[in-house]
Amino acid sequence: MENSQPTPLKLEPDDFNVDYTEEDFAALPPEEPSLAPAEWIKKNLFSSVGSAILTFVFGLFALWALRGLFGFTFSNERRWDAVATNARLIAVERYPLDQFNRIWVSLGSLLALTGLSMAFFRASGHFTVKRISMWLMNLGVLGLLGVVLTPGATTEVPAEVEGELPTFIQDSFSEAIGGRVVWIVVSLVTLGIGLAIWYGLGEDRRRTMRVASRWVITAGFGLAVLSLWVVPYGQYFLEDGVATSAPGLVASSTRIPWTLMWVVFAGALVLGLALRDRLPVRPPKMILGLLWLLAPFILNWIVLRDPDFDYAHVFSTDIPMALAFMALGGALLFWLSSATIGETGKIVSVVLLAFSLFNWIAGFFGMYPMLQKARFSFLFLGLFALIAGNFSRDRSTRMSFVYAWMGFMAIFHWLVTAVNSPSTLEITSDTYLGGMTLTIFVAWLTLLVSFPLGVLMALARTSNMPIFRLLSTTYIEAVRGVPLITILFFFSVIIPLFLPEGMELAELAAVVVGYGLFSAAYLAENVRGGLQSIRRGQFEAADALGLTTGQRTSFIVLPQALRVSIPPLVGQSIATFKETSLLAIIGLNDLLRVANNTIPSQTDFVGSKKEGLLVVSALYFVVAFSMSKYSQRLEKRLGLGTR
Amino acid sequence: MAMTEPSVSRIEVSGKPPFYRDVTVVKWLVQVAVLAVVVFVAWFLAKEAGENIRARGLTSGFEFLSQPAGFQVSDGIDDNPATGGRALWVGMVTTLRLAIAGIFSATLLGIIVGLGRLSSNWVVNKVATVFVETLRNIPLLVQIFLYFTILSGLGRVSLETGPINGWFHVSNKGVAIPRVKIADGFYQWLVVMLVGAVAARFVYQNRRAEQERSGGDAFAFPIAAGVLALVAVIAWFIHPIVGFLESPLRWISDLLDGIPQVAVQLALVAIFFLAAARFVKNFRDSRRTPAGMAALTDDDWFRQIFAFVAAAMASVFVLVVWPGLSDWIVNSSSDLFGVLADKFGTNPETGLDRSGAPFAGERPDIVQTGNFPNYGDSGLQMSQAWAAIFFAVTFYTAAFIAEIIRGGILAVAKGQSEAAAALGLSRMQALRKVILPQAFRIVLPPIGNQYLNLTKNTSLAVAVGLADVVQVGGTINSQSGKALSVFAIWMAFYLACSLTISVIVNFFNVRLKIVER
Repeated sequence: MENSQPTPLKLEPDDFNVDYTEEDFAALPPEEPSLAPAEWIKKNLFSSVGSAILTFVFGLFALWALRGLFGFTFSNERRWDAVATNARLIAVERYPLDQFNRIWVSLGSLLALTGLSMAFFRASGHFTVKRISMWLMNLGVLGLLGVVLTPGATTEVPAEVEGELPTFIQDSFSEAIGGRVVWIVVSLVTLGIGLAIWYGLGEDRRRTMRVASRWVITAGFGLAVLSLWVVPYGQYFLEDGVATSAPGLVASSTRIPWTLMWVVFAGALVLGLALRDRLPVRPPKMILGLLWLLAPFILNWIVLRDPDFDYAHVFSTDIPMALAFMALGGALLFWLSSATIGETGKIVSVVLLAFSLFNWIAGFFGMYPMLQKARFSFLFLGLFALIAGNFSRDRSTRMSFVYAWMGFMAIFHWLVTAVNSPSTLEITSDTYLGGMTLTIFVAWLTLLVSFPLGVLMALARTSNMPIFRLLSTTYIEAVRGVPLITILFFFSVIIPLFLPEGMELAELAAVVVGYGLFSAAYLAENVRGGLQSIRRGQFEAADALGLTTGQRTSFIVLPQALRVSIPPLVGQSIATFKETSLLAIIGLNDLLRVANNTIPSQTDFVGSKKEGLLVVSALYFVVAFSMSKYSQRLEKRLGLGTR
Repeated sequence: MAMTEPSVSRIEVSGKPPFYRDVTVVKWLVQVAVLAVVVFVAWFLAKEAGENIRARGLTSGFEFLSQPAGFQVSDGIDDNPATGGRALWVGMVTTLRLAIAGIFSATLLGIIVGLGRLSSNWVVNKVATVFVETLRNIPLLVQIFLYFTILSGLGRVSLETGPINGWFHVSNKGVAIPRVKIADGFYQWLVVMLVGAVAARFVYQNRRAEQERSGGDAFAFPIAAGVLALVAVIAWFIHPIVGFLESPLRWISDLLDGIPQVAVQLALVAIFFLAAARFVKNFRDSRRTPAGMAALTDDDWFRQIFAFVAAAMASVFVLVVWPGLSDWIVNSSSDLFGVLADKFGTNPETGLDRSGAPFAGERPDIVQTGNFPNYGDSGLQMSQAWAAIFFAVTFYTAAFIAEIIRGGILAVAKGQSEAAAALGLSRMQALRKVILPQAFRIVLPPIGNQYLNLTKNTSLAVAVGLADVVQVGGTINSQSGKALSVFAIWMAFYLACSLTISVIVNFFNVRLKIVER
């Protein structure tokens, strides 16, 4: 079991196939010698009288629960075609069908990024062949259990006398089994493959032979795609509210793109593996990290949503403004970072910061108009000016500081323009996302908003400045004290009341702000746990080296604290992902709402709620479960939590 | 770089820096500036909200609490509340009932599943693992919808059926089971029980002292428990003797009612300044060394000044910004004692008779008034919505509690169980006296956190239309548009719940802490 004490492994390097690292040793589960079946049963099921009774009682319970589950799933009352017909609705809700290529391009880009990252980051672990063969055997046994346990289909026989209730006849056991030949064959083949691997390899080899999990994932994905070409899932359409279905393979508009997706994924993985050893180590990783950070922005606001640029405005205002900030701001920063400037520089930067803050106050009172983008740019300029003194060294240092400013401005102005033309940050458009895409989008934006905020508040809470501590503690405790749903109500109902004349916020934006602020309070507590685990000596050593408070925090304290907080942060991400289901309550069309409200209200599928809800549960389960498994692996790898 | 201009830096170090380079001043200036910005933004938003509310013809305030509610509340202690305040109270009681029932059942189930996760029996282990992994990875809301849908699909109530007729019924109207109800004499009985608890504690300590002295087992716990049980039985019959408590409570209530508003305001102001003074005194004490008073830094002076500034701000708030607060404190504490007084004695005027039995048992019944049979008033009934949310929060939280229990037991060092075995303790003894007490210390804080989560999660009841505090608040908001007031009530209610649970958990936490030398 994964919880037992790790025992040192005696492994010879020759036993391994290819690349393994020191961490992989640490991540290896400890293995006990496999027992013969009879010994295993005696040890694990009937070790004592009490154990035998437990085995009997819980075995019966498990069989009963399995029978219930199979009966529920395969009952002929279930309308699985409700889900099959509405699969597109669950995935992307009402995204226009003629624009569907945008979805495939987005998905393909993400898959390509995933493949490349899997290759370059060497993040994927290994599965032993023993484990894989056990999966196959378990799957086969489960299939056979399903064959035996699933109740026979019931058929309704109308009453002979008018007015009496119809009777129901259930298929007999042999009739039911007779209709499940394909099922039996598939289960037996799976079981047979598992057994063949198990007994075909000796004890040592099945334990030491390992397959990288990236290949397991690629193969699993490939098999799923292959099944689209082989298994007759049937075709389901919904036109003008009428659902029709035809037997046969799934529609080619589903089959072909998914095959392409697999090709893109596997291609990226192979390409990455081929390039991995020929390229230097760090730059590709940095580029990939940057792409992960930018890809969602680009995909969401450029690919998925045609921003419908007003090019006249872009050329007349947006680009000149960006260039002006880059050039004039750069010149100012270059001057401020000169070595001889002394106190004048500090005063100028403080004045600049005060001016940029006053811009906001003036904006609230409507004293003079200014584009939101300019307000932000001035604010950033003030902040950059504050740290300009740190770069007052030789010319090249100063120039790279100025380049950093220019690059930052270019990206910022481009993003703002891409987000919302013409050039404000007021996101008022209706959401064009729905279903699974909305869920993912909200979860991802929430993490993005809450992470910096949470770190900042954790720092404030642990700082020795009483007012900051008071403010952040009050905020964190107040937010953690109330349920998320009240905060979401607050942001979707009350925020519009708060905003001054002329400022507007789309409901989705307000909701994301609510999610972000809520999540930030929890995140801050996780980071605080990490901050408190840093020993005093680290602070004292940093002070002894003469680092400033900012340098100490960003170079010494935070990197160590965040490393310790990674597992709880992953846990928080899972929680955030699960919490996006609350979108359904406040009336946004996420996948839960599609399953719970939209599908049951279609005329052809009135009342078919259970099917959709089960599928949605399974989707959530797969994502949350794999994330939590990955976080457990990460925890072991980082060597955390060991005593 | 510093090497090239040593003289410059030396001159700077030797002179006193200008005030805007002084770390303390800058630190406090930044803090005060941030505070000012926060206060300004809050003020500004409040002003905007006030204007917007007026512009839309809405009103703020809490008048709705005493105005007729005008809607019905399902599944509560009162189906047809007279006022908005009463409706909110009914919602709060529903939330509390859900939370308390959920906490008990989730703890029980969580402990069982957590121990199952540690079992060496393969079947038990797998069943527990599947339970945990499935239920904690499916969002709570999805589970609520799923259970609600499944319960809605069940058969109708009928007069004969139910898995156990007369005891346990399951149908599309929900679940009905027997229950024990608090009856008229409960509060008086409780007071006698408190006296009994003091006596039992005395007996317990006495027996413990005896055990220390003689070294043999003095059966301290069984005897004390026996005393308590005996008192419970006796109290059942003699509890009317504490009925006299009514008049002193009534007297306190009247006394509080007579206090003028100004007195409370002045008392609050005095408390604020005393607290500030106390803070300053403690602070100065902490800076006092055997060699005399340590030199106070600028930062220390700022702290002391700020303590008084904060006290002054709080006083202004009490005196000027919200003078009604003092009135409210007086009235509600007077009301509180009035309510307490109602729980005692026999009052011929109100027709209350508190001399009955403290508890009453009830079995569910099924009645047929119209065309279809339905559950009657007797017994404990869970409507579909109630049952869905109850089972969902129970299973969801139990999965998390199981993991906490498993982790806590695994975290007890292996040497502890080996040492217990070496002392000759049996496996049960080792578990009860060595492992579990230590594991309990580890699991208590995270389990307390789960209780908080459970309480907050009951707010999802709004999704299936159960009238908890959030749903009732939402109804009031959609009727009267008093979003801010409703939100304030939600916040106060949930913060109070969280604080109560934290206080209880912390109490045990402190009790269990390792006493270190």
